[in-house]
Amino acid sequence: MYWRLNSSLSSIRIKNWGGEFTVFQPESGKTHFLNEMGLQILTILDRSPATLETICKALSEYFSLQPDKDFPGQIAKTLHRFETLGLITRVKEHA
Amino acid sequence: MKVEQFSLDQLRTLLAGSGLRVKAGPFNLSIQTCLPSLTDQLYRMYSHYSLVDETEIAEFHVRIIPKHSIRRPFVRLIQFQVDGRAPFPPVPVEQALATLEWGINLVIAMRVNHLLLFHSAAVERNGHVLLLPAWPGSGKTTLCTALIHRGYRLFSDEFGLMDPQSGEFFPLPRLMPLKNQSIGVIRDYLPEAVLGPEIPGTLKGTVAHVRPPQESIERADETAKPRWIVFPKWSAGAALRLESLPQSEAFLLLATNAFNYEVLGETAFDAVTSLVRNCECRKLVYSDFDSALAALDELTDG
Repeated sequence: MYWRLNSSLSSIRIKNWGGEFTVFQPESGKTHFLNEMGLQILTILDRSPATLETICKALSEYFSLQPDKDFPGQIAKTLHRFETLGLITRVKEHA
Repeated sequence: MKVEQFSLDQLRTLLAGSGLRVKAGPFNLSIQTCLPSLTDQLYRMYSHYSLVDETEIAEFHVRIIPKHSIRRPFVRLIQFQVDGRAPFPPVPVEQALATLEWGINLVIAMRVNHLLLFHSAAVERNGHVLLLPAWPGSGKTTLCTALIHRGYRLFSDEFGLMDPQSGEFFPLPRLMPLKNQSIGVIRDYLPEAVLGPEIPGTLKGTVAHVRPPQESIERADETAKPRWIVFPKWSAGAALRLESLPQSEAFLLLATNAFNYEVLGETAFDAVTSLVRNCECRKLVYSDFDSALAALDELTDG
């Protein structure tokens, strides 16, 4: 299963507050509050739709992390939250 | 011309006829009522307000009318109406002033969308606005009352009215409803404050309104830019704390506290961002006025 961004990152308004981010999504009119990890997930998905595994790998590289066994579960939770907020959608195949 | 320049009889005729048209900050209000008790209260509490020129339009037309109830035949009831509609159920006649004031606030909150409306007290000192956003029950009206009797100019105890384009704040100096224990606290601390009648039995308990200082009403056309945002919280016995608040937290608190943030969408997002970036953000915990005023004086001295 792949995840894709609902709107390209260039259409979303992002303000940086010293490592925390407020994000305005024009399509929904909603404002969201993200940490750096959350924003990086959107950045990864802006390049192309990706699976949970690919996202975790890209995050590990970006933040120079040695992921533990809980890491994919935490990222999956974040993806589901983003889906609820209308930021991303799950798709069966890489379109 | 001001309300105080009328005789009580003239005011009664106006209220019962075409309506009293007064300026309330950037808005013009038309008030109608034939209730003698409310007329007497308005004569005292609205004395410093200016009348609207005959050529100007009143944005809001409100009325307090007598209401008869089959279920409560022996209780004298009144109802608030705006443009002929009644957003509240009837209440006893003794609550007319409180109902009128809450009704006007409701109309402003529901209908004004050319300005960003924060649920916040706002006062001015040294040419800049100090915003005091807070949830109901945090004591913002009580603190605001203390500030405006100690050298701060009242913008509003209820609304921070921001022009999203220019960032200017508009004064809206209206009666300020103290509730329950706050009434006695202000009577003791500020014997010079002019309070209206105590109105028991409202949805918020006993209410008494503070009349805004004359200077604040007379300078209601003077807008100002904000410089400080302080989230106040009264806590019994607490030592004074005036602490820095991260801007990200201030953004979230302000965005969720604004009445029409979602209506204004991207405009509001940009306005709140600009507001927070240009202000010093603090949170204040206090239990006594003297220390809170000293801390806010020091903050706004610079």
